[in-house]
Amino acid sequence: MNDRERRDFEAGLAGEVDAFMRGESTRRTFITRFGQMTGLLAASGPMLSMMTDWALAQQASELADPSTPLGQAQAAALKASSEGPADGSAFRAIEAAKQYSGVTLNMTSEAGLQALDPRNFSGPMLEKLTGIKTNVVELAWPDLYSKAVAEHIATSGAYDILDVAPMWTPSLADGGVIQPLDDYIAKYMNKADLEDYHPLYKALPTYKGKIWGLFDDGDIFALYYRKDIFEDPKLVEAYKAKFNAKLEPPKTWEEYAQVAQFITDQLAPNVYGAGHFRKAGSPGNQFDFLQQFRANGGQLFDGDMKAALASDAGVKTLQNMIAANNASIPGNNELDAVSLWAAFLTGKVAMIYSWPPSGRMAANYSQSAAAINFIPQSQIAGKVGYAVVPGNPEHATGFNKALSADSANPDAAFLAMQWMTSPPVSLARVMLPYALRDPYRLSHFRSELYAGLFPSAKEYLANLNASANVGLLDPIMPGAQDYFLSIDRMCTAVWAGADPKASLETAAKEFDETTDRLGVDSQKAFYAEFLKLPGATADNTVEKLGLAVTL
Amino acid sequence: MPQTAAITRMTGAGAPPRLSSFANWADRHFKWLLVAPAVLLILALSIYPLLFSLVVSFINYDFQVPGHAFVGLKNFERVVFDPVARWSLLLTALLSGISVAIEFVLGLAVALAMVRSFPGRGVVMSILIVPLFISPVIVGQAWTLLLQRPFGPTNYILGALLGQEVTIGWLTESPWLYISLVVADVWQWTPFMFVILLAGLTSIPPNLYEAAELDGVNAWQAFWAITVPHLAPMMLLALTFRLLDAIRMFDTIFIMTGGGPGTSTYTASYYLYTVGFTQFHLSQATAGSWLFLIFTALVVTLLVRRLLKVETA
Repeated sequence: MNDRERRDFEAGLAGEVDAFMRGESTRRTFITRFGQMTGLLAASGPMLSMMTDWALAQQASELADPSTPLGQAQAAALKASSEGPADGSAFRAIEAAKQYSGVTLNMTSEAGLQALDPRNFSGPMLEKLTGIKTNVVELAWPDLYSKAVAEHIATSGAYDILDVAPMWTPSLADGGVIQPLDDYIAKYMNKADLEDYHPLYKALPTYKGKIWGLFDDGDIFALYYRKDIFEDPKLVEAYKAKFNAKLEPPKTWEEYAQVAQFITDQLAPNVYGAGHFRKAGSPGNQFDFLQQFRANGGQLFDGDMKAALASDAGVKTLQNMIAANNASIPGNNELDAVSLWAAFLTGKVAMIYSWPPSGRMAANYSQSAAAINFIPQSQIAGKVGYAVVPGNPEHATGFNKALSADSANPDAAFLAMQWMTSPPVSLARVMLPYALRDPYRLSHFRSELYAGLFPSAKEYLANLNASANVGLLDPIMPGAQDYFLSIDRMCTAVWAGADPKASLETAAKEFDETTDRLGVDSQKAFYAEFLKLPGATADNTVEKLGLAVTL
Repeated sequence: MPQTAAITRMTGAGAPPRLSSFANWADRHFKWLLVAPAVLLILALSIYPLLFSLVVSFINYDFQVPGHAFVGLKNFERVVFDPVARWSLLLTALLSGISVAIEFVLGLAVALAMVRSFPGRGVVMSILIVPLFISPVIVGQAWTLLLQRPFGPTNYILGALLGQEVTIGWLTESPWLYISLVVADVWQWTPFMFVILLAGLTSIPPNLYEAAELDGVNAWQAFWAITVPHLAPMMLLALTFRLLDAIRMFDTIFIMTGGGPGTSTYTASYYLYTVGFTQFHLSQATAGSWLFLIFTALVVTLLVRRLLKVETA
């Protein structure tokens, strides 16, 4: 230490002593307090977590009034889980899961309404029955895929149960993110319950001969229309006079545009013939194009795995969609799914096709839950009819519950999945007013309790079943989201005035780039696997395969 | 009295404790110990991810294609030859340039109007800067509610004013959708320009204007001869900061147009988001981020050099 450093040091020391005597902070007290503060911060995280866990644990399972159909369904689910029948999947799952009491299962869920069921109903009920806790991790829809993959790469074991779109199954299975369920099913499940799935949904989680998930959401599109308008004598007469045909829910896409235009011509600006969710990024474009394109005989890929979008079927599909847009409510191309619901529920639109919650909202059933009060009250309750979408409706996404390959408690996780998707428990779940999970089991479609939810619930269920009989699946293969994005860009460009044929060619080019990036041969193999599924094309729907379900 | 108290306390405190060798070392390097946590935090949160992202841009890191093989410049090539990427970069330049220019002119005008005191100035200023504190997502949602047909009131109000039906597709038809995005951005960020320029204006010595007035200089001449030269560093500062922010435009586009129709409202940020988080091509998105960073750095360097030049002068 040289003289200057010594002087500085001693001056600092003297200053420190002076500060100490004045009762001010010294370096020592600063370090001590800094250490205390850091320690407190480190401790506050776990403490906060413990407090949150405690607060969540206080939340009892949210049960409905036992005199209502929902309350009865929930009671039945509880009884089937705790008393049997002993060979039921719900009872067997609960009995086997009791040994895992105290385990916490981390399960992903799409953020928002989708997460309310595991948070408020099935999660707390599972804990009550088995002592297994559930931690619902809410994620944005694309993150349900990306986070699952990222956590798998990091081998974090962050998740036990994954909510995944069926289209992701091949990627997740081949990537080792999820594990096959065949052995668990053989060990724990009553296999008869697998036969309770509608045939469109039964094979959905199957890939390369193995089962990779338990299907959990029947997202089939259906047509919802205003019966009072379609039965209005003046309109019926005018339609007959103009087209020499009966005014009824359309059976073809040409009829659809024609009927929509007729209603708009007759009733606008009070009511418009149709509405669609066509906003960019809103998934309506991709689903609508896929259902119409395939109903028009279009093939997504040719034998060499080249995109076959730029075909006559493609042009015809876009032309039909443009005609429908022109016949629709002003701002049709700016609507997302929720805005479209608002337009329909407030009586501004005579026809929409969308996901199954449309019917429950139209009947004002969903709005009985506070969580879904952002949807307007239905002004058309009791006036809504149900029909199959012209041609073939799209099964737009849906969900599988999949078992994470990195789960530390795979048996407990599978048992929770089995219990949640078992016939009695899944029925209670799809009946929740805030549920975005839609009927998918035959026992759901045949349920008297569900049929009692609102006056036209029986017809609603029958229509969902009929729609599934002729429904088409989203392509289940790697790159599906890239293909979807290309379709969405193509459609919105066409709505803005781009040439349909040129737009189809651009989308086809993007399809080919995606295929090349992922490997032509491997994509070809994936596509071939997909084509084996009922509902992969308009030529092999459940109905055409002779598997149609009659209720 | 205070001296007596100090002596009493000193006696009570006894002799200073002997410091151990570690304590000695800690005392000598105290300043480094203090900055060490911050440096480590920066290294962990900035440098490591930056280096990792550089590595990722040269390998396959794609949630749809297994493996992390070295791919050289393939990811960069994909971005450079992607027409959507090129368009998004051009649109970013156009949108941010136009928005910032309008914000600058409006901000300066409002600052000039507000530089002198008048009754209610405080209230007016408070109201003017409110948009600055609103999340861009909320701004996007608010403008969507105003503009989106059939529920938004804009066309109705315009129709009432013009006496004829207005059917503009503010969020789906060109050029209206670009105008909508610029309007939303200008509404939110003009106050930023205003606040900075007002601070600059108030720092100009008033005696300069008084002297100019005595010399018979009119307001327009005073503006060009006094205000602009004195305000120039602040102007450049405001433009630099705002431009840096504007080229990252994402939130309002995500909410208002979803990038559409087609890819017509893809900005660079939106493009990178789509590639990375909709299509899961993370390495391509990372390579694109680096290219975007280089473009941004060029602009920033240019502006900062200019700023330093002005300040030196």
